[in-house]
Amino acid sequence: MIRHILSASLLIAACCSGAIAQSHPPHAVPGELEVDPYIASDANAGAAPIEDPAVFAAFGGEAGIARVVDGLLERVQQDERIEGIFRASDWPRLRRTLIEQFCYLLGGPCHYTGRDMASVHRDHGITTREFNALVENLQDAMDAEGIPFAMQNRLLARLAPMHRDVVTR
Amino acid sequence: MKSVFGLLALFVLSGPALSDDITVRVTDSAGEPVAHAVVSLPGELPAQPQDVVYEMAQDHLQFDPFVLVVPRGAEVVFPNRDRVRHHVYSFARGNAFELELYGREQERTVVFDADGNVPIGCNIHDDMIAFIRVVDTPHAAVTNADGIAVISATAGPVTVWHPYANAADNQVVLEAPVGGAELAVTLDLHGQR
Repeated sequence: MIRHILSASLLIAACCSGAIAQSHPPHAVPGELEVDPYIASDANAGAAPIEDPAVFAAFGGEAGIARVVDGLLERVQQDERIEGIFRASDWPRLRRTLIEQFCYLLGGPCHYTGRDMASVHRDHGITTREFNALVENLQDAMDAEGIPFAMQNRLLARLAPMHRDVVTR
Repeated sequence: MKSVFGLLALFVLSGPALSDDITVRVTDSAGEPVAHAVVSLPGELPAQPQDVVYEMAQDHLQFDPFVLVVPRGAEVVFPNRDRVRHHVYSFARGNAFELELYGREQERTVVFDADGNVPIGCNIHDDMIAFIRVVDTPHAAVTNADGIAVISATAGPVTVWHPYANAADNQVVLEAPVGGAELAVTLDLHGQR
C-alpha cells in the first residue's frame, strides 16, 4: 500500500514538476548519532534495484541480508587494512543503512534512507586497495551464508560501479 | 575562536608576566588586523624542556590552530576530533614527520627538535594546511584576531613572521620599542586563511 502511494507520488513528481514527492524518513533513528539534514531518496542507493525476484530469495530475504551485513561488519572490524576507516563510524547507523541499501538493490521491499555514495565517502580518502578489501570481506560474508556465486555476482555488479564515487585517492 | 588560541599561546610561551611587556599590533597593507603572525624576541630556552604539551588539532577538516609557535624540543599532540582519518605530514628539514590518525584518535605526539618553520598538510584533505614555527626563545606569541600579541620581554630585535608575508623568509625584523610602547607592524600578505 505504502509502496503504491510512493510510486504514485513519484509518478506525479516525474510528470508534473521537479519537486520531490517522497516523504523524508528520519535522518538518524534512536541509537544513532545526529547527522546533517539531507533529502532521503532511493536514488542515494547508487544503483537501480535488481528486478529478478530469485536474487532476493537467494539472499534469504531481509533476514538473510541482515546476516550478510553483520558478517561483513564483523570482518571489517578485524581487517587491519581497513578497520581504521571505520573506527569512529556510527556502527548502528552503518548497519541499518547497509541493510536498507542491499535490500533495496536486491529488489526487496525496502527503501534506502542514507546519504548518497559520494557524500558518505568523500572525506574518507579511500583508495582502490581499500575498496577492494571491503569487497573481499563482503564476498567472504556471502560465502559464509551459502549464497550461490552467480547470485553474489548480481549484487557485486550493482556495487562495483560505485567505485567512481567511493574511491577518491 | 582564533583569539582564544592566540591568548593560549601567549600564556604558554611567555611564562610569568614581567612588568615590562611589549605589545605588538600587526596589520596588513589595508589596515586590517593580521591574526596568526608569530612575534618573537630573543631569549634563552631553559636547559630542560618545559612540561607543556602543545596541540595541533584536526577539527571539521581543518587544522586548529592555523599557526602554532613552540620552543625547540617541544612535544605537540595531534588530536583528531573528526570521525574520518587524517594523514598528517610535513617535509620540513629536521622536523619531517608523518602520522596516520584514525577518527577520534587523540594521543599521538611529535617532538620538534629543529628551529624553523614546519608547514603541515594532510594527504587525504588537500585543503588542510597549517604551520608550526619552532623557535629558540621562550619569548614568542601568536597574534590574536585583533592582530595583537603581548610578549614578556623588552630587549633585542622583534621578529614578526607570517606564513603568507611578502618578505624575505616571510618575516620582518624591527627594533624593540622603548619604554613599553606599542609596536605597530605592517605586513604585506598574499592570501588568507
